[in-house]
Amino acid sequence: MPRALSALVILFGLLWACGGAAAAEVARLRYVTAIYLDDKGGGMRQPEGVACNDKGTLIVADTGRGRLLRYTIEDRDVKPAGEIQAPQLPAPIRLQLNSRDEVLALDGKERRIGRFDAKGAFKGYLSPEGVPAPTSIVPRSFRVDRSDNVYLLDVFSARVLVLDPDGKYQRHLPFPAEHGFFSDLAVDGRGAVFLLDSVKALVHVAQRDAKDFSPVGKSLRGHLSFPTSIAVDGRGIIYVVDQNGGGVVLVGRDGSVLARQLAMGWNEGLLYYPSQMCLNDKGQAFIADRGNSRVQVFSIAR
Amino acid sequence: MRPRVLWLVLVLIPLALVAAAVAHGQNKFRLKLGAAGKVCVDCHPDFAEKLKSKFVHTPVKAGECVGCHSPHASDHGKLLSVPTNSICLTCHDGVIPPKAVSTHKVVIEGNCVKCHDPHASNNKANLLKAGNDLCVSCHRAIGDTVAKVKFKHMPVSDGCLNCHNPHASDKSPKLLNSPVPALCVQCHKPDSPRFARQHVDYPVGKANCASCHDPHGSNTGGILFDTVHAPVASKRCTQCHNAATAAEPFATRRSGFELCRGCHGAMVNETFGKARVHWPLVDKTGCLNCHEAHASRQKKLLNVEEASLCGQCHNDTLDWQAKLAEKEKQETAAAKGRPEKGAFTHDPIRKGGCSACHVPHASDSTHLMRQPSVVEGCGACHDWLKHNSHPMGEKYADTRNRNRSLDCLSCHRAHGTGYRYMITFPTPTDLCVQCHKQLRR
Repeated sequence: MPRALSALVILFGLLWACGGAAAAEVARLRYVTAIYLDDKGGGMRQPEGVACNDKGTLIVADTGRGRLLRYTIEDRDVKPAGEIQAPQLPAPIRLQLNSRDEVLALDGKERRIGRFDAKGAFKGYLSPEGVPAPTSIVPRSFRVDRSDNVYLLDVFSARVLVLDPDGKYQRHLPFPAEHGFFSDLAVDGRGAVFLLDSVKALVHVAQRDAKDFSPVGKSLRGHLSFPTSIAVDGRGIIYVVDQNGGGVVLVGRDGSVLARQLAMGWNEGLLYYPSQMCLNDKGQAFIADRGNSRVQVFSIAR
Repeated sequence: MRPRVLWLVLVLIPLALVAAAVAHGQNKFRLKLGAAGKVCVDCHPDFAEKLKSKFVHTPVKAGECVGCHSPHASDHGKLLSVPTNSICLTCHDGVIPPKAVSTHKVVIEGNCVKCHDPHASNNKANLLKAGNDLCVSCHRAIGDTVAKVKFKHMPVSDGCLNCHNPHASDKSPKLLNSPVPALCVQCHKPDSPRFARQHVDYPVGKANCASCHDPHGSNTGGILFDTVHAPVASKRCTQCHNAATAAEPFATRRSGFELCRGCHGAMVNETFGKARVHWPLVDKTGCLNCHEAHASRQKKLLNVEEASLCGQCHNDTLDWQAKLAEKEKQETAAAKGRPEKGAFTHDPIRKGGCSACHVPHASDSTHLMRQPSVVEGCGACHDWLKHNSHPMGEKYADTRNRNRSLDCLSCHRAHGTGYRYMITFPTPTDLCVQCHKQLRR
């Protein structure tokens, strides 16, 4: 009897551990708040980019009004912290913050990346140096890693360029031979680069020292309509933003679909043609809810 | 017994056993002599006439109706002994090669009877119709083109099978007997002086002939596709390519849109002056994502007709339209003639005209819309004030979202929603109370 009892206890323990592990894999986006206004009470218009960090800074690309907006975040409290006038970037669409609190912004019209210092002063465009032929570069998106290296999604030359913080060429990764159109990329804490193919609804990955991309699982076509933004959290969960379907699909590192969250709509907590998503280590998620002319803040509950 | 006789007996007995087993297998119904086929004709007299046809299917000719039919009962139509779509493959299993590159849909579906009469016919291979008549009975558009075009391709008029395999091809797409250009150079000799002159000395014997020529014939000389890129029409290939004598004569002088910019500079500059560009235009393939470089059946040198072209990337939208069209069809059928008001799908999309609302190259508006204002965009076709007096425009804020003003898309979705009038909720009441909350019940 004691032996059977111990076996049962071990079995239950194992089951609990497995169940716990599985549950931990699935994250849930919980609506926190929505940001509509700048520090002067003016509304946003069709923002497409968001950048965030762990220090409580949020930058919004107010694309429709051709400006950047700064906010500070403390728990659920979001406060406007000024506007960054950016006449050099009339249509900012993708943003990143580096470790020095500099803002890097990709402009959809100029198709160039502008750099602003922590105070919001324009410091010039990022100009890649020493890039091997072809020298023509058209960035569709970009990311900054923890060491401030810049990963540039160069659609014109079908490659991901890795540049050091000053823009000097480090290496490049060619796009996979078979692909539709890559709209976004992400870099995780381990240095793996993720590419999002909007047309094939497929995520590709190149691990830190890999020279090529390989698909992560199968196409997500059954789970979303037209994805355009991707983010990866510290646990390796991939967040794919479904622009046309108004939702976020969570994908495991093995390509398994963990969940589809949020839905299309106008009310708070719903998305209408969302654009860039940003995650920080505090478990916060920010989504540029372009069609609703606002940025929504979610907490990632596990 | 002498050893030689013993050996003979040992060989003959197994042979006899095998023969008996085969005979039993062939006559699994233990039919009397003639009952496998000849008896059938007693009750199916119309078959006697059929059997007079020029070409009779071998089992029918042999009086082996039981080769395909079960004489007593069957789980399959027409008393067939195996399902209709696989019975032919029991004998003709080689029609689809193991590594087929392309396959005729009817063959894959086992719809052999779409082309063949399983009993007899006056056409070779028991075909229902002779020659191209059979093919164009399904491929009508090609049939019409072939009949109407000014410049005909003789092998097409002679017979589709000159170039295509009707079942499958293990060599090429589109059921071609050989890949292009190997197929074309069987007749058109690239080393002939005339051929070289016509192609400005470019070694096109190894190029894709179908990037310029319509193999089914066209209204343009040299059976070029009807829309021809000006440099091709004037044989100024070097505008885009290296010289014919270069090491890589087909290499283009520049990549992507940078090549096209040389002539289409004004258009490219206008495009790049907009806030939002259609991203494929600036990728490695550039303009050729949507346009042909040499010639096309479509206007504006589009690769394919507009809806299919857009759908190559935006297949989610096309799939959604197909679902809505199906729903509309089902609801209309269920209405049994009662008039149903309000469409499920938007007319321009139904007609394949994405560019009615979107600009394919670039726009200052989101979603590459033609008009910056939704109200103005919709108003280009819908005189909305005549049927709707709901306030709309920049002055009127959406009560659900202070940063949005009221426009047509506050209530409708241009690509359809699954509800009539393309409204965003199942009924007008459900929709209206989203803002007019005081009216909720």
